[in-house]
Amino acid sequence: MAAIEVEGLCKLYRTRIKEEGLKASFRALTRPVYKEVKAVDNISFTVEQGEILAFIGPNGAGKSTTIKMLTGILHPSSGRLSVLGMDPATQRRRLSYRIGTVFGQKSQLWFHLPPMDSFVLLGAIYDIEKAVLKKRIDELAERFEIGDLLKTPVRKLSLGQRIRCEVAASLLHSPDILFLDEPTIGLDVVAKHRIRELILQMNREQGTTIFLTSHDTGDMEQLCRRAIVIDHGRIILDEPVKKLKYDYMNRKIIAVRFTGEYKLKEIDGITLEKSGRLGARLSVDTRVCSIDEAMRWLIAQGGVADITVEDPPMEDIIASIFEGGGQSLGGGR
Amino acid sequence: MAKLRKYLVVTRISLQNVIAYRSSALGGLLFYSLFIFVFFNLWRAIYKGGEVTGYSLTQMIWYLCITELVVFGCRSGVYNQMNDDVKSGSIAYQLNRPYHYVMFQFFNALGNMVFNLVIYGILAIILGLIMAGPIPGFSFASLPFALISVFLGIIINFFFMITLGLTAFRLEENFAFYLIYQKLVFMLGMFIPVEFLPKWLQSIALYLPFSYVAWAPARLVVAFSWDLFWQVIPVQLVWALVSILMSLGMYSYGVKGIQAHGG
Repeated sequence: MAAIEVEGLCKLYRTRIKEEGLKASFRALTRPVYKEVKAVDNISFTVEQGEILAFIGPNGAGKSTTIKMLTGILHPSSGRLSVLGMDPATQRRRLSYRIGTVFGQKSQLWFHLPPMDSFVLLGAIYDIEKAVLKKRIDELAERFEIGDLLKTPVRKLSLGQRIRCEVAASLLHSPDILFLDEPTIGLDVVAKHRIRELILQMNREQGTTIFLTSHDTGDMEQLCRRAIVIDHGRIILDEPVKKLKYDYMNRKIIAVRFTGEYKLKEIDGITLEKSGRLGARLSVDTRVCSIDEAMRWLIAQGGVADITVEDPPMEDIIASIFEGGGQSLGGGR
Repeated sequence: MAKLRKYLVVTRISLQNVIAYRSSALGGLLFYSLFIFVFFNLWRAIYKGGEVTGYSLTQMIWYLCITELVVFGCRSGVYNQMNDDVKSGSIAYQLNRPYHYVMFQFFNALGNMVFNLVIYGILAIILGLIMAGPIPGFSFASLPFALISVFLGIIINFFFMITLGLTAFRLEENFAFYLIYQKLVFMLGMFIPVEFLPKWLQSIALYLPFSYVAWAPARLVVAFSWDLFWQVIPVQLVWALVSILMSLGMYSYGVKGIQAHGG
């Protein structure tokens, strides 16, 4: 059964526009000019129960707006929405018992109180019986390794610790679907990895459907089998992550610094993007040349002082999707 | 019953929260004392020029302590809180929960208000006793009835505040409403009792809600009379009901067109 069904969903925002200058300010007082912005532009997709879906795209692509519509906070301008068979806009309260949300940039925990107090409050709000709640908290505390943190005021927790508590808080009422909006934003590599593992575990053991937005390609690679890429409110790609990875995420960026003057011998699959006197930026096509090969080649050049390997930013991946003609879904715009 | 339990837990947690964050109350206590002290001196100077009808100096000082208590005690921060929540987008967390948002805000604010009323109440009694001493002929038997009026004043104040605060769901900037409301409560009863206003303004003020937040309850505490009680309570009940209905209406209107900012 489908957990989420979306058809032709649109969200228009009306924002006031004002030109520069004092004169324009006065004019805007009497005759405000509005501009319509399409935050979400006619998107359709289905998420099956138990699936982990990545909803990715650059900042301002419409990811959060979509989540807010799916959870009933924003009302769609047009289109059809069904979450667990309910209409979020009109059945928000009933739906809220069965979904959980985590907004990575916001907190649902009381800042001055230990997470335990927030958990008790949420337990009451979701009408969870005391004994059941206690069992659930113990279970989540063990799984998320937050047992020691539950008695510490939230303001004293590190971001990674806090996010673990946030995710646990959103799972207290055992939701069928968990919406995660940028859950790993601002976390270091280790903490990111932790959160991803926990999410995977929840999905595997409890069959929780997971809808995740992110602009971190790592979240998608490590968590999801399927990804939807959105840009300017439109779906530009809806594919298995494997295929996406092969088609578009086949590049790594290597930044290298040398101890002295250097000379690079050409090799297939590696292109020089930028070079300075002591350093260079290389782009590696991993389909032609593996990272392993690239490293060996680089070391062979001699005199390497430092190497950093990065994924290309989301924006670049999206650009390459457009360039590639976007074989699915009508090729974007 | 199960429903009420949910909201009482909200109040309990918010009370725990203000207690954990009590240092913020200290500044308020200082400000309250300063305010009372300034007006105490002002009224003393005025009364030197002759007795003012309706209130003895002692009653006036107590009146001052109580109106300020209502206003300071009611400071729940709900207005700013809602504004911040909409602007930062945290509102997303508060809306998709199985409770009524307005009721949640009320019981949440109640925790703050209980805490504030207790600490400001103690301070008000101490300051009143130091500066004015006990009111001659004060009847403790009528105090509970006066407190009903205090309670209704708090309800009116809260629900007007939340009605205005909810405009944040639709408007980019709504701070002006807050200022206007605050000043009306201040001018029509807090700064000076309604009896001291010009006759024409008095007759208007008695039909408006603002004087029933601070003036009516404070008057009943310092100079209780059954006549006034039966005159004030029905009006307060009507305004309490109106403000509650307005807040519910504003909520259902606002939530349909909420502009959720912040990504």
